[in-house]
Amino acid sequence: MKIFCVIPSWNQANTLEKVVNDVSKFCDNIVIVDDGSTDQTKEVVKNLPAHFISHAINRGQGAALKTGTQFAKEYGADIVVHFDADGQFRAEDLQKIVAPIINNQAQIVFGSRFLDTTTKMPEFKKKFIMPLARFINKYVFRINLTDPQSGFRALGPLALQEIDWRQDRMAHCSEILVAAHRSGLTIAEVPITVIYHEFGQKIGGGLKILRDLFLSKLNN
Amino acid sequence: MLQEYIALAFILFFLGRLGWQLYKDQISKSQFLMWTLFWFIVGILIIYIHAIDSFTTKLGFSSSGIQLLFYIAVVLLFYWVLRLRLTIEKMSKEITELTRSQALANKNSNHN
Repeated sequence: MKIFCVIPSWNQANTLEKVVNDVSKFCDNIVIVDDGSTDQTKEVVKNLPAHFISHAINRGQGAALKTGTQFAKEYGADIVVHFDADGQFRAEDLQKIVAPIINNQAQIVFGSRFLDTTTKMPEFKKKFIMPLARFINKYVFRINLTDPQSGFRALGPLALQEIDWRQDRMAHCSEILVAAHRSGLTIAEVPITVIYHEFGQKIGGGLKILRDLFLSKLNN
Repeated sequence: MLQEYIALAFILFFLGRLGWQLYKDQISKSQFLMWTLFWFIVGILIIYIHAIDSFTTKLGFSSSGIQLLFYIAVVLLFYWVLRLRLTIEKMSKEITELTRSQALANKNSNHN
């Protein structure tokens, strides 16, 4: 199966080269989507073994992932993996995340930071933000997964056909989860290790996600 | 009564200003009509403020008619802000679509 790894990048020139070189061992094609970076990204990608797409202006992670996924589909991808450019994910986990699709056990796979014991998540995030997000997912969206905001995921052929998302910013994570459930796809979770360099999504970010989902619901 | 005359004077000032803006081509005819209608309605409400007062009392509210108008105005403002927000969201999505199609048309590849 032809595996494409889509890496959205916004001002991640410092980590991008290492991430791409690490990931290239585990997939057939890499698609870097530069989301309107103002750093040295364009220079860095010149020598990297990857397809390169550039948004003229910053449109958000969800938008960049959709651009990369659309590109991968046009180039005949069977599996598309979404991977971060900041070096927080481990390239080796890519094998784990595509395995259930290759073995016909799942059509979409989410990486979970909670199934893995080595991830050192900030305590406030682990004990307050994540349980709250899990609670919202469970009782508002009827989704019962261990990781409510996983950005590391693999979409198999059927998922690529069925799932579409419209959220440009961070709410795409929830939107993809909901779409996967509503499409009746077989979902799997695999443990992944996340190395936290910074706190990441804060309470304000969570509220923005809820706001975006609410506005999108009203606009439909 | 004086308050009502002052309010009506303000409305006349704004109507005059609208007419001047239309004459100077600073606003379109549809904008002129919309704002004229708006100030016209406000004027009617001010002229009949005592009737609104009694209507408010009949409805069982302890406040005066002008307060009721303020409450309605606040609700309408919230609604308009929401509509504005939805329009901005829609435009934002369209900008993303445009950015995406441009990006996909100009893609580069270092793959063999």
